[in-house]
Amino acid sequence: MIVVENLVKSYRLTPVLRGIDHVQERGETVVLIGPSGCGKSTFLRCLNQLETADSGRITIGGITIEGGRPPRTAAERERQRQLRQRAGMVFQSFNLFPHLTVRQNITLAPVVVRGVPPADADALARELLIKIGLADKAEVYPAQLSGGQQQRVAIARALAMQPDVMLFDEPTSALDPELREEVLAVMRRLAEEGMTMILVTHEMQFARDIASRVVFFDGGRVAESGSPEQIFSNPQQTRTREFLSKVATR
Amino acid sequence: MNLVAALARAQVKSIPVGWLGQSPAFRIRWALVLLLAGMPVFLGAGDTLGTIKQRGVLRWGADAEGGAPYVYPDPQQPERYIGFECELAGALAAQLGVKAEMVQNQWDQLIPALQRANFDIILNGLELTPENQQRIAMTRPYFVYAQQIVTRKDTESLTGLEDLKGKAVGVLSSSVAQKLLEKAGGIGLRIYPGNVESFRDLRARRIEAVLLDLPIAVHYAKPDGSLQLSGVPFAPGYYAIGVRKQDPELLAALNQAIGELSRNHTLDRIYRQYGVWDQNQERLSDYQPVAVADRQPISTLREWPKYLPLLLRGALTTVELSLLAMVVAVVVGLGLAILRLFGWAPVRWFAQAYVEVMRGTPLLIQLFLIYYGLPEVGIRLNAFFAAILGLGLNYAANEAENYRAGIQAIPHGQMEAALALGLTRGQALRRVVLPQALRLVIPPVTNDFIAMFKDSSIVSVITMVELTKVYGMLAMSTYDYIGLGLMTAGIYFALSYPASLLASRLEAKLRYDCR
Repeated sequence: MIVVENLVKSYRLTPVLRGIDHVQERGETVVLIGPSGCGKSTFLRCLNQLETADSGRITIGGITIEGGRPPRTAAERERQRQLRQRAGMVFQSFNLFPHLTVRQNITLAPVVVRGVPPADADALARELLIKIGLADKAEVYPAQLSGGQQQRVAIARALAMQPDVMLFDEPTSALDPELREEVLAVMRRLAEEGMTMILVTHEMQFARDIASRVVFFDGGRVAESGSPEQIFSNPQQTRTREFLSKVATR
Repeated sequence: MNLVAALARAQVKSIPVGWLGQSPAFRIRWALVLLLAGMPVFLGAGDTLGTIKQRGVLRWGADAEGGAPYVYPDPQQPERYIGFECELAGALAAQLGVKAEMVQNQWDQLIPALQRANFDIILNGLELTPENQQRIAMTRPYFVYAQQIVTRKDTESLTGLEDLKGKAVGVLSSSVAQKLLEKAGGIGLRIYPGNVESFRDLRARRIEAVLLDLPIAVHYAKPDGSLQLSGVPFAPGYYAIGVRKQDPELLAALNQAIGELSRNHTLDRIYRQYGVWDQNQERLSDYQPVAVADRQPISTLREWPKYLPLLLRGALTTVELSLLAMVVAVVVGLGLAILRLFGWAPVRWFAQAYVEVMRGTPLLIQLFLIYYGLPEVGIRLNAFFAAILGLGLNYAANEAENYRAGIQAIPHGQMEAALALGLTRGQALRRVVLPQALRLVIPPVTNDFIAMFKDSSIVSVITMVELTKVYGMLAMSTYDYIGLGLMTAGIYFALSYPASLLASRLEAKLRYDCR
């Protein structure tokens, strides 16, 4: 389903990813944890092609992209867009389009990118809004929604492209604690429905509940990987133990 | 005018001191200073001859830009002026026992400038007409001129006033030729600020003929192999010196001086030296002064039904011009902004260079290059298109910067979110970034539009007759600068204020962040 081989990425001279290998089956929920600056977010952004890896190979749903340089030919760009459509991205800062209504936010990509007839896209949007519990907000603008509601719309917007995998980049970090739960609930439900997900988060309890596998990033490498039980209760590496103790006492 | 300026200047100095906080004595002293500052304007009236003799210099107003053979920079020594009027001024000043000093002033503004005491006399091909004599006093004539038609060599049978009907004919702004053609009617009149430009357009086939005073025709057109003097000179008239009406002593002294120069053949000598002498000059001695009745000054405000429609017709041109130029500016500007932000390197440099060059050079020069320069490489635009292109391309540089700032103000996350959904860069730009950026730039773009609306008056230099030009022409013939000025300013305001209202309405309508 997802295969990442030896992914390397530097910003100028600072290495951020030092050779990441990652294999994920359909329906698996993988949670990435680790100290800030360890490369978790960059890893997600490489998967979604917002960053170009220096070397390595990414395969999602049968589409493979080699690292090295940004796409130059039309064919390469087309393949990049194929990959992006298979990987839905949810950002820490929501990034809803403020000039479009909730419904238009959701239908924009299906109509423009996939050529879905507007009426079908509207029906899809209605369905997704029911799923995230915002059926009555279709015609309002993002600025009128709370942060939690905006993030739920952002999830619906990504789902509307029917991706193979959903990538969440600290989706609740920008939210007040009382708004986090509504977003987590939506994600929990997605996981239960069998959506393949990769989640970067600092919500350790949630990670423990939802993850089928936890990956601990440190210094641009995968330091440790295993079941939530194993990572949280019985970590093998010193760095993992140190990190978890800091997070726990926070 | 001088009094007002002096008052304004004095007040700027005095107010920071704390006018109201000062003692009464201080205030009275300042009031006296202010009054005295205005005094010379009144005292000076009636005794300019005395002032000239005291100063030892006769200041004469003329336009040396395209002023040959009257007064023009010496091609061998451009810092010094020559010309038959230059010689004449020297001879006249010598008669008065003083030196002559030329004061440069645009030709069609010489009379108002004389009245504002920018110089003592006008000596620059000023025609001895009842219209001029109602406004200022004029001496006995010093030269006999006539009107001459100039055409291209290949043009035939344009030899008289009747032949010019239905043709595009160039004249010098507010010259006798202009009045003559206006009276004749049915002629495509093209009004130029100088003499050089009309001949240029004649050669460029934008106009069929130029009608102007014979000495100019002789000087400019005769040496030009592609042009000819067509037909015989007609409608002779006199050039005379203009003097303020309050200066009868100066007028008398000048009349005497001209008489002396005529008697001792100095005039003939000067005119022969510059090749402008002809048989007509013998008629100078025939001149009989005609009494001209003082006419009541025209109040254009009271007679507004006569003047407002003319101004409105000019305003229509202004509106058409600025709307079309703005379309050019917006389209080109948006393109430039996108190229500059998203193009590959050479394209980015080009866009940036365009913005810097257009912003860093005067609009006036750009208009001249487009209108008079392009025909030399075979691109001949009419005045209207040249004006739209000039204004539009100039403002495109400003708009490009507005759009660039607007696009850059949109958070990067917007582009990323759109790309992450699988939109191409172009789609993301068009559907996500630009709609947000365009709303942001409404205020600066509106500002530019209103600025351009007013700047558009500059296109009169390439013969466009728009609102400000109409104002200038009417003001020149009625001398009611205030009444016409108020009407013209009123029209500009009545047109620009709705534009800014419309913009704020549009801005409110496109608001999505706090509805």
